[in-house]
Amino acid sequence: MGQCLRHQMHWEDLEEYQALTFLTRNEILCIHDTFLKLCPPGKYYKEATLTTDQVSSLPALRVNPFRDRICKVFSHNNMFSFEDVLGMASVFSEQACPSLKIEYAFRIYDFNENGFIDEEDLQRIVFRLLNSDDVSEDLLADLTSHVLSESDLDNDNMLSFSEFEHAMAKSPDFMNSFRIHFWGF
Amino acid sequence: FLQELPSYRSIARRRTTILSRDKQSGTLLKPTDSYSSQLEGGITENFNSQSIRKYALNISEKRRLRNIQETQMKYLSEWDQWKRYSSKSWKRFIGKAREMTTHLELWREDIRSIEGKFGTGIQSYFSFLRFLVLLNLVIFLIIFMLVLLPVLLTKYNITNSTFVLIPEHNQCDLMPLTLFQGFLEETCLFYGHYTIDGVKFHNFTYDLPLAYLLSTIAYLALSLLWIVKRSVEGFKINLIRSEEHFQSYCNKIFAGWDFCITNRSMADLKHSSLRYELRADLEEERIRQKIAERTSEETIRIYSLRLFLNCIVLAVLAACFYAIYRATIFSQEHMKKEIDKMVFGENLLILYLPSIVITLANFITPMIFAKIIHYEDYSPGFEIRLTILRCVFMRLATICVLVFTLGSKITSCDNYSCELCGYNQKLYPCWETQVGQEMYKLMIFDLIIILAVTLFVDFPRKLLVTYCSSWKLIQCWGQQEFAIPDNVLGIVYGQTICWIGAFFSPLLPAIATLKFIIIFYVKEMSLLYTCRPSPRQFRASNSNFFFLLVLLIGLCLAIIPLTISMARIPSSKACGPFTNFNTTWEVVPKTVSTFPSSLQSLVYGVTSEAFAVPFFMIICLIMFYFIALAGAHKRVVVQLREQLSLESRDKRYLIQKLTEAQKDVKNRVDGR
Repeated sequence: MGQCLRHQMHWEDLEEYQALTFLTRNEILCIHDTFLKLCPPGKYYKEATLTTDQVSSLPALRVNPFRDRICKVFSHNNMFSFEDVLGMASVFSEQACPSLKIEYAFRIYDFNENGFIDEEDLQRIVFRLLNSDDVSEDLLADLTSHVLSESDLDNDNMLSFSEFEHAMAKSPDFMNSFRIHFWGF
Repeated sequence: FLQELPSYRSIARRRTTILSRDKQSGTLLKPTDSYSSQLEGGITENFNSQSIRKYALNISEKRRLRNIQETQMKYLSEWDQWKRYSSKSWKRFIGKAREMTTHLELWREDIRSIEGKFGTGIQSYFSFLRFLVLLNLVIFLIIFMLVLLPVLLTKYNITNSTFVLIPEHNQCDLMPLTLFQGFLEETCLFYGHYTIDGVKFHNFTYDLPLAYLLSTIAYLALSLLWIVKRSVEGFKINLIRSEEHFQSYCNKIFAGWDFCITNRSMADLKHSSLRYELRADLEEERIRQKIAERTSEETIRIYSLRLFLNCIVLAVLAACFYAIYRATIFSQEHMKKEIDKMVFGENLLILYLPSIVITLANFITPMIFAKIIHYEDYSPGFEIRLTILRCVFMRLATICVLVFTLGSKITSCDNYSCELCGYNQKLYPCWETQVGQEMYKLMIFDLIIILAVTLFVDFPRKLLVTYCSSWKLIQCWGQQEFAIPDNVLGIVYGQTICWIGAFFSPLLPAIATLKFIIIFYVKEMSLLYTCRPSPRQFRASNSNFFFLLVLLIGLCLAIIPLTISMARIPSSKACGPFTNFNTTWEVVPKTVSTFPSSLQSLVYGVTSEAFAVPFFMIICLIMFYFIALAGAHKRVVVQLREQLSLESRDKRYLIQKLTEAQKDVKNRVDGR
């Protein structure tokens, strides 16, 4: 992180980004550096965009089982501008507040984007987490039913945002695991 | 249909804003995409610009918000403008200061890289080690400022001081100090060196014995408060949950993946550990159900088997304690012989015999416990916890046994009479120094063992596995796994020795700090070069609470010998700052008696029974009140959950009725 260069970014822009995101100065400069390495040469960083494939291949996201969902949630029209990348890094930064993380975690885990995390979403989450070929149907169904029995308060077989928020507020590992430190190479 | 419900829409609106925990701001902001016209009108004045960051919008929208906010500011009065400007700059200053202090954090990069490569469980071990380094450093600073600084000032003749006078009418038969062997005993490493009674400054005399005692109490209180503060986080979470803490499926599935993993092999390992953990949890649930369905016959059989096995465990513990007791007595007796007559190696063996026996016991007993618990037929999670608990007890109790053996030797008076001095002054003219020596030996031996195990067991094992992997035996044995519970017990053991020994040997915390720094680097190298990550991983939240709990047990076990030696055993009359007092604790009553009489009567009043008993009763009443309150809250939570599920059923029933009615109307319209 110490090798990032201060390259073409104006001081006012840096100050503005610091005020609008949870990132520190060094982190913003690091992301700027990474962005410049990936975007086509010659373009001003504020106008360049990256594809989701490029962002998915960053070391920070390369092995993440949810990287396609992360890219979908944070990009606009499947393209990432510099500010989109900053917004993504801000949510995953260490200083971000819990409510912001829970908000975006809900969007990431909602695979079918119907505003609720239902059984289908849960099964896909578990499948991605286990990442193995011989996962039996029983195991998936068992785990899904356990999660729902713990956090589905109104018994409608899906998690609304407030139920998810309630479950994550009680979860001791959420803040520690929903963090990405380093966005460089 | 469900998306048109008012409850869903209000949540959706709330989702694109922030639920600002700020008590100042009143209304919530409407999202910019659909309600932009209400945007300008809906902002209140007491808007904190720091809370813009918390909004779940992208940066361009936040920028618009900020511009609107700033134009709004023009309509405020001068006073409000200045208030907001100053609060903004204050918050920015705090943010920058926090950023600076994170740079000062010790070993930040090392711990981050360990987290990325090995996961948060092992990272929490290294954070715990860092915490202990800081704790020992602070303890040493306290002792330095209160005790060592005046001694140094006196040594370099910066101030005058009076030395401890041995009163003439004391009839203890004092042995001359020249009989002490070894050069270390005379140095400021041990208690015996501190013979200053009072250090004279301009206006007052600095009472060194009182300072010595107060520094001990201060570092124990500071350790207790710091550990409790750190463990409050984990404990708060435990209190909220009614079910099994840390085992919740929600936690494991939604917060199961460590997003900071960047390594392909680490990711594979995380997947396999998640598979293992989730399967183990389901298995445990099945076993628990099986246990609940046991017949009474089986239950009796299991319980009698467990009783028998627990007796075996107690017997093993008793055997170890007895071995340590005999080793200590043997070592103490033979230490007194003329040392130059013995061979050097034999001398060292006798000196370090208690440490060797303790290390052997701590090595053998975990294996015995692991074998025994197989037969006790507990669920897997409980098995692990019980084994760890037994090992913790074993490790920490060995130190207590050692200290109590020493204590019993000091106050045992077979042939020599102890009436004059209260302790065995022939064998132990300066018993505090000798206890301090034992603690120092334990600590050094512990460090040597850790270094030796790493150098002579871990690295060769790694070399064998890398170069001779064709041998079946080596393949079975495999590479080292970083066993977190054993390592944590090791450092808690070291810290307990430090706490007990710091009273008898004031420089011990400094040695402990250096020792833990060395251990950090050694363990880090051992982890990076010789260990493979284990498939069964500790969770970070679980680990933190477990480590601090074990440390707290160590602290409680350390306080017991200290209080006994301070309050019961008479202090040495031949050395140390407390020769003028019967026991170490006597300094405090003597100091209180020099206070002005009003203060004295206040102190006596506070410590008398007339105050203590009502105080205790009031505390009990307050505790019962909080317990009752917690019980009432739990009942309310259960009722609310039931009510929520009822509401949802009502909702579905009404929707069903509505769709039927709509279909009816449609049919009627079509039919006409």
